[in-house]
Amino acid sequence: MADIVLKDVSKSYGQVEVLDRVNMHIKSGEFIVFLGPSGCGKSTLLRMIAGLEAVNDGEIHIGERRVDQLPPNQRGVAMVFQNYALYPHMTVRQNMSFGLENIGTDKAEVSRRVEAAAGTLEIEQLLDRRPAQLSGGQRQRVAIGRAIVREPQAFLLDEPLSNLDAGLRVRTRVELAQLHQRIATTMIFVTHDQTEAMTLASRIVVMNNRKIEQIGTPMEVYSRPASRFVAAFVGSPSMNFLPVQALEDAAGRVIVKAGGVSIPTTLAMSAAPKSSGDLTLGVRPEALRVAEDGEVNGRVSLVERLGDRTLVHVTLPDGTEVVGEDIGKSTLEAGRDVSLKVEGSEIHLFDADGVAYHAD
Amino acid sequence: MSAETLSGAARAHAERLRGDRLVDWGGMILTIITFGFALMAVFPLYWAVVTSFKSETAVIASGISLWPESFNTEAYEHIWNNTNIGQWYINSLVTSVVITAGVIISSAGCAYALSQLDFPGRRLIYVLILACFMVPMQALIINHFVLMAQFRLLNTWAGIILPQLIVPVTIIVYKQFFDNVPREFREAAQMDSAGHFRTLFRIYMPMNWGVTAALSIITFIGAWNSFLWPFLAATGEATMTVPVGITQVKDAYGIVYAKLMASAVMAGLPVALLFLIFQRRVTQAVMLSAGVKG
Repeated sequence: MADIVLKDVSKSYGQVEVLDRVNMHIKSGEFIVFLGPSGCGKSTLLRMIAGLEAVNDGEIHIGERRVDQLPPNQRGVAMVFQNYALYPHMTVRQNMSFGLENIGTDKAEVSRRVEAAAGTLEIEQLLDRRPAQLSGGQRQRVAIGRAIVREPQAFLLDEPLSNLDAGLRVRTRVELAQLHQRIATTMIFVTHDQTEAMTLASRIVVMNNRKIEQIGTPMEVYSRPASRFVAAFVGSPSMNFLPVQALEDAAGRVIVKAGGVSIPTTLAMSAAPKSSGDLTLGVRPEALRVAEDGEVNGRVSLVERLGDRTLVHVTLPDGTEVVGEDIGKSTLEAGRDVSLKVEGSEIHLFDADGVAYHAD
Repeated sequence: MSAETLSGAARAHAERLRGDRLVDWGGMILTIITFGFALMAVFPLYWAVVTSFKSETAVIASGISLWPESFNTEAYEHIWNNTNIGQWYINSLVTSVVITAGVIISSAGCAYALSQLDFPGRRLIYVLILACFMVPMQALIINHFVLMAQFRLLNTWAGIILPQLIVPVTIIVYKQFFDNVPREFREAAQMDSAGHFRTLFRIYMPMNWGVTAALSIITFIGAWNSFLWPFLAATGEATMTVPVGITQVKDAYGIVYAKLMASAVMAGLPVALLFLIFQRRVTQAVMLSAGVKG
């Protein structure tokens, strides 16, 4: 196990810049998730750590060694590919032992490691099958097994759950988290699925448009997003955004005013954006609850019943659509008037540049 | 329209359908045409085999005899006992096997480099290979002859083999198959510490075993049947291949049809057997290799 440090890492293909001065310190044993939309550079960054993409500028350190000029097999990392890349003509055992044979590992040691990894992943009965004879979930386990036998300093996983169906995806996600707890090795996991990121990560690296937007624990990223992009990208349903004006109350706290409605917050005026123009209020659906004494009034346009809670889509008088929450057994129906109460301690303000300011 | 009329029309339609099903005229015509072409292809082979089992007298007798009155193996015995056909077989076998192995290994290596590696001049080299594909062997034969003569390789196995190792089409076919292998397999091999040769021979070649089998058989058949270059490169009987050697039969005995046909049958038999054995495999292999399954 080792720390992974990225210093000013940049990447471009000709004139197209893919990553711009990325800095990051991944601690040994962490489960790091690179999260971001397609094309944000997260897979490229993973591949650069793996050694499958050249680094144009900057440094990558794994443990005490600088590795950005080393070939992939000398970096001490193992990778699980999105399509698993299991060699179709080899059995599971041969797939898992191929890498060890290539570095001249003793046959008995190869066998011991393969058996041990198969035991950990509960795939002993599959060792003599070929990949074509395995289900998607089994292939995924074999791909992880192939990585485990190398006993790497870090595992790099490039969207390994994306080829699984919904049910298997959830089960495998849990198994992956349990596996990380057992082997306690650094894992870097790339995904565009924020549920996977929230449930698996020790820390999430949210990426957008060639840069890191935020690095933080799942709850930090969710509760205190660093930017409007992070606020919008993390959380389902997405955060509501309303253009507002910020005013100050007698206690020096911010009151936001939107569509003639004033909402008190716990955000100190001194911590609020200096310019009160072009401000956006961000509030998650769970902080916008249906209540008789709510400050925000509107008409229900759609009701989504999720069982434990109900998502209520409300059209405000100025035509803005927001999503609030009601109890699971809500009796609301489309077309009815409704009041929403804003939880002032859970609001976020974003300035014109998308920088976030949070209520305490 | 009455119910009776309706049922009458329906019955007529059903009968027409049934009639169409009983006599598939289109299929029948196509079958006859195909059978005709098959007959045209098979008849010369049949005639050669039948003639080889006739006596020389029966061969030149007037009239057409589609079946020998008596089966006579004299022609075969004569060829076996009075020519160097045993040596010609060995020469053909050695040169064909070496040519096949050489073409497959060099073409796969070249195609892997062109398909998977990034190096300056890669596109230019590929264009040159495509250009070579358009130049027939016959156009280069004098160059080859001069070159082999200068290397003192005429009348040697090496002299027969070397010019026949240049088969651009094999490189092109391999490259197309290698291009279709998802890049993750090469990257997985890289992560698994496999060098390029190991990646080629342990991953890419087995993943494309079908095309390798097909190209090997086609190359072997081509090398076995090759006539022009071995005819020029091997002037001594000791280094002649079977197709070149059987020209000696004609020279030694004048027009002796039965013996000529016997030698032709003996020359073609190994290749015919090879194709018969692997015919299904070649077709199946090409189809399987059309899509690499992960």
